Amino acid sequence: MPPKPHRILLDRVSAYADEAAAYMRRRRVSRRPFARLYYPGGRSADHAQDSSSGAELFVAAGRLIEVAGKKERG
Amino acid sequence: MAQTTTTVIQEARARDTVGSFSQMPDGAAATVPSEESAEAALAYLAEMSPDLRGAAVLGPEGEVLAATGEEPARWGEDAAVLFAAADAAEGVPVEQVHIATEQGEVFAIRNEGLAAVSVTERFALASLLLFDMRSMLRELAGATPNFGGSEPPKSRNGED
Repeated sequence: MPPKPHRILLDRVSAYADEAAAYMRRRRVSRRPFARLYYPGGRSADHAQDSSSGAELFVAAGRLIEVAGKKERG
Repeated sequence: MAQTTTTVIQEARARDTVGSFSQMPDGAAATVPSEESAEAALAYLAEMSPDLRGAAVLGPEGEVLAATGEEPARWGEDAAVLFAAADAAEGVPVEQVHIATEQGEVFAIRNEGLAAVSVTERFALASLLLFDMRSMLRELAGATPNFGGSEPPKSRNGED
């Protein structure tokens, strides 16, 4: 007996949701710290954490994160 | 995160902070928005961005117009260091900065002669947040900023 049409739709939506969740999991695991600067005109440049410019950016970012503190959970 | 001595920060500040906010890529703001407008803008940004931990709005000279938390002066100092380091990276004034660390993410943007800095949880949607920050600055730089605040209630029967 062929599956009911609404079952096909639900299965397909579930498959997409599973795939998106897996993508987000992989992204969380594999993502490394980065510093990206954007210039007028749309050009962007990445600066490695171990470069001198990257180190300064990460130190400055760390200080801002410290000032912001933790998010208050409502 | 790699530890770097504080002298690096002090050197960056001494070297590049002066005038770093006057290097706005798209010119200076026509008028400096009021602190009330800036605070309303920050509240609007916080409402739009559930991942936001804190943020600050800075004027053309780097002065803090509004900031979350209890240390507005530190927001100004640290944002100045960030923009100075970013501008010094290639010797060109930057428009936007996005730094992702394991402790959180930092976004900074210059627009219409103003600047804004935000700190979010990890994996915040960068394009969305930067769009909101840019919109906020554009609105602030306008003559009559409107951040969706509630209007005074109107009388239903025509009385004041």
